[in-house]
Amino acid sequence: MIYYLLLCKSITYAQHTARVLERVGISGIVTRLPKKIATEGCAYCVRVSGRYISDALVAVRNAGITDIRVFAQYADGNLSEVDA
Amino acid sequence: MIYLDSAATTLQKPRAVAKQMARAVGRLSSPGRGGHAAAMRAADAAFSCRMLAADMFGVREPENVVFTSNATHGLNIAIKSLVKSGMRVLVSGYEHNAVMRPLKAIGADIVVASSELFEPEMAVFAFERKLRDADVVICNHVSNVFGYILPVQRIARLCDERGIPFILDASQSAGVIDIDLAQLCARFIAMPGHKGLYGPQGTGLLLCAETPVGIMQGGTGSNSLSRDMPDFLPDALEAGTHNMPGIIGLMQGMEFVHKRGAERIMEHERELIRVASDGLTMLDRVRVYRSEHLFSQGGVVSFTVRDASCEQVGEELSRRGVAVRAGLHCAPDAHRTAGTIDTGTIRVSVSAFNTKTEICRFLDILRDIVAKI
Repeated sequence: MIYYLLLCKSITYAQHTARVLERVGISGIVTRLPKKIATEGCAYCVRVSGRYISDALVAVRNAGITDIRVFAQYADGNLSEVDA
Repeated sequence: MIYLDSAATTLQKPRAVAKQMARAVGRLSSPGRGGHAAAMRAADAAFSCRMLAADMFGVREPENVVFTSNATHGLNIAIKSLVKSGMRVLVSGYEHNAVMRPLKAIGADIVVASSELFEPEMAVFAFERKLRDADVVICNHVSNVFGYILPVQRIARLCDERGIPFILDASQSAGVIDIDLAQLCARFIAMPGHKGLYGPQGTGLLLCAETPVGIMQGGTGSNSLSRDMPDFLPDALEAGTHNMPGIIGLMQGMEFVHKRGAERIMEHERELIRVASDGLTMLDRVRVYRSEHLFSQGGVVSFTVRDASCEQVGEELSRRGVAVRAGLHCAPDAHRTAGTIDTGTIRVSVSAFNTKTEICRFLDILRDIVAKI
């Protein structure tokens, strides 16, 4: 199963993003960013199931959270940035 | 004890404040410090507090609600972000040292828009007259000495029309008067958590319409490879470990205010101040500083006793179990404006937890003290 990681500037933005998703019925788990993509040091992301990613991105943009990067996380642990 | 010093700190808090703070000590670490359960619970709780504050005070983004250790801390950030040496800063005649001392330290050119006590029309006129060359305007919402409610909406509008940044000191108004950052078009609003919001001491909020320059640098749990502070809120201003028990306590206090309603709390406080002022007016040798208009005074009243020093009266009240504040209340400028700089005043200030019975008891005790002086 593919998960998507919505990269956030800080833990506060990650919390904000998760609350926005919660409001539209999407479960988003706030978690530390995997080391290999944490290029600026400690950071947080919101992990969303692949089946909800389109709706999640719409909800996040509608909430005014625009500065966001998205990574696909595959079952084998590999990560690749996707066009948000 | 009859506690009548809520303008300094509300001592009586909703029961949930202490209970949840005690619970937080062993359960919450700090937001952004680790991915374990205690850090995540802290992050979740801190964000809930920001959301509540954003909702209560008209802040569009919860990120723009910054935790501070008190209103003075928030005012220092706001002032040091907008004011540079030599800049002309227009203030009311009722500012606290939390505003005046940072301005003096920066070397600002301080201009006072002085106007009489409890005369809001004159206050607007005084600001309007001196606005032209102002770089920044700072105004107290409610005087901590006299409870005078300044017409800050009109003053803020004048600033907005002229493009002058406006900072509001909401130390005495947060929790009793509706405050809306967006509606006021203020750059910053600073408020304590431990007064009208019924949080614990050591808490405060700075509401930001822009990202200010921080006065502290350190760990934020974000952009940690960089030696520069993050340039986004709230991280830009929140270096170091958060006061999680304080934040939880503040949230419980704000929920109390939110549920009861600022308007209802203000109504209660005004009624108590009316009873106190009426009683004080009846006493020989007592001069009361009260407004004739309900809308221009909050839950604070000051008085003096002829032939007795404020400290003497305050000490005697304290000895008999009544806590008031005597002196200059860290606001000498307010006393200069009102003409009480030489004597100071005795200040009575109430909260949602005071009762009419307490006010009547205070008046009985004071009557006895005054008779014996």
